[in-house]
Amino acid sequence: MRKFLTTVLVLAAAVSLSAQNVSDLIISEAVAQPDSTGLLDDYGRRSGWIELYNKSTGTVNFGGCYLTDDRSQLKKSLIPKSDLRTKLGPRQVVLIWCSGRGADGTFYADFTLAPGKTVYLVSNDGRTIIDSLAIPATLPYGMAAYKQAFDIRQQEFEFVDNPEIPTPRMLNGEHGSATKGELMKERDPHGWILTVVSVSVVFCALALLWFLFWVLFDRPAKKKDAPAARSMTKGKRPVIPSDSEESEVAAAIALALDMETGGDTYAAIATAVHLYLADTVHDIEPGIVTIRRSESAWNNKSLNFRKSPILVTK
Amino acid sequence: MEHIFESLAQFWEYTGFANCTWQNLVMIAIGLVFITLAIVKEWEPMLLVPIGFGMIVGNIPMFPGLNIGVYEDGSVLNILYQGVKQGWYPPLIFLGIGAMTDFSALISQPRLILIGAAAQMGIFGAYLLALLFGFAPNEAGAIGIIGGADGPTAIFLSSKLAPDLMGAIAVSAYSYMALVPVIQKPIMLLLTTKKERLIHMPTPRVVSKKEKIVFPIVGFLITAFIVPSGLPLLGMLFFGNLLKESGVTKRLANTASGPLIDVVTTLIGLTVGASTQADKFISVKSVLIFGLGLLSFVIATTCGVLFVKLMNLFIANPAKKINPLIGNAGVSAVPDSARVSEVVGREIDPTNHLLMHAMGPNVAGVIGSAVAAGILLSFLG
Repeated sequence: MRKFLTTVLVLAAAVSLSAQNVSDLIISEAVAQPDSTGLLDDYGRRSGWIELYNKSTGTVNFGGCYLTDDRSQLKKSLIPKSDLRTKLGPRQVVLIWCSGRGADGTFYADFTLAPGKTVYLVSNDGRTIIDSLAIPATLPYGMAAYKQAFDIRQQEFEFVDNPEIPTPRMLNGEHGSATKGELMKERDPHGWILTVVSVSVVFCALALLWFLFWVLFDRPAKKKDAPAARSMTKGKRPVIPSDSEESEVAAAIALALDMETGGDTYAAIATAVHLYLADTVHDIEPGIVTIRRSESAWNNKSLNFRKSPILVTK
Repeated sequence: MEHIFESLAQFWEYTGFANCTWQNLVMIAIGLVFITLAIVKEWEPMLLVPIGFGMIVGNIPMFPGLNIGVYEDGSVLNILYQGVKQGWYPPLIFLGIGAMTDFSALISQPRLILIGAAAQMGIFGAYLLALLFGFAPNEAGAIGIIGGADGPTAIFLSSKLAPDLMGAIAVSAYSYMALVPVIQKPIMLLLTTKKERLIHMPTPRVVSKKEKIVFPIVGFLITAFIVPSGLPLLGMLFFGNLLKESGVTKRLANTASGPLIDVVTTLIGLTVGASTQADKFISVKSVLIFGLGLLSFVIATTCGVLFVKLMNLFIANPAKKINPLIGNAGVSAVPDSARVSEVVGREIDPTNHLLMHAMGPNVAGVIGSAVAAGILLSFLG
């Protein structure tokens, strides 16, 4: 049952994501009556066109969606599902010719545009209107009705009242303006502002991390260890109050050596050393042979580190 | 007979000998130097062998249009190179780094985090210098990140800010990481007194499992909220560390820190090397990038060491002073720069082990350079 519910939830999430993707499309521009300089379609004709824009950061497949100029007939012109070209990349545009001949191809609609009409983009369910663009009745020949981003970061678009010269297959609004690098060159030619801000942010981020860990863990831990530290300063051996703490100290030594040398043998040696220091075991006992560690190429740290190059001068 | 000669002449045109230029030979020679240094001197062999061989692969002279070169769409090398170009490999390497990094040294002495921040000055020093040399701000940002001493971060940022310079930046970053002992040691000796080098730091306290588990989560939340543009690197770094420290995902942590990072390191090294095709690589800009890269390492090391000295001015208790020899470890060349601290420290006092202390700023440097990359990306990307 749990597996079934999980599957249903995953499927529901996938469906909702798909719907969310299509809803990221907008009709960004439309030309109802092209003039003699207007764009030619694949058949060499001049027809009106609309431009769809994907404002999301993911690819959207608009195959299966509908276009219409009649609100009472939302399924007027189907965009074919089977064409791979209906996948629109992030922040990309595509032109749909409103030639009135949908059979001409994937990017042709079954209606023509005229001033005063409203064109709708309808979801693949045939009911949900994703976006619309009202073409002003007074739109002159050769001019475009369009939407422009007033907040490029939030991808918020709004209709602009003034007709403009068409910009087919180009992004509207601030998209075409200078890059961040170019803007930075103008505002901060020597780089001092960026440097000061960036260094401050790096310090703030890491200082915040330091502060949090100091308050949450480091300070309380040091307070807890204070009696042992005090006894060490008086020349006595550290007081180890319980078995658990003793094992923690041994583990710390083992960890340190393990990080440094990466060997379980050292961890065992560290534990033995700790036990000796804590007076738990004796190193020298009658009748017991003590094997002392000898340096070799296997355990000598200086031989394990990479050597620094030596500068030879003649 | 005539056909045989014609065929032979045609075959000759396809050979490397017919298409060879002096630039190809120079790059092949550099590749051989890298391989020699890696094998004979054992300088960063994991990086220099793949990069060096990649340089040779990328500079075999060939007849263009055969769809085999790294810059020819659809070729095998080109497909592998997409991982560098699109920035897929660096976050995967960060996942592995996270899964193999023990942040205990940092958690036990949180004050050492600040050294990791100070050493990032190398990035911004190189950024200012690059602007001075006439680079565009986005190019300067990509060059500056060499000072972070972090190869994956350098590749990630340069692929976003200045893809054309990525080959030179990546090779420069990895080369100087291999040369960390050579670059850092003289600076450390120059900036510290004998008395300072003899400072013994207190033994770090024991870090509990709870702290180790909380660290990647809190660390990620803080850094990612401040610099969301560093998400791919920071997210993977802390995720990898959580896999390691949680204790319940050992298999995933082992894969991330073992086979996965090995595969990606091999691919990134080979393709970065191959991207240094002579016609794209040999230019005045590349020479400048190498010069600026070296300066960025010098600035980073200097700032790290000086910052520790500055911190010591505010520490009244002599037992709590920090040895300035760990300042160099603020650059994120893990664990090479920490090893340099250890080696230099033991040269003057064989009983003074600084490795554990230096690992603190070292891993803080990894976080710091990822944060700095995120900031540069948000300003210039």
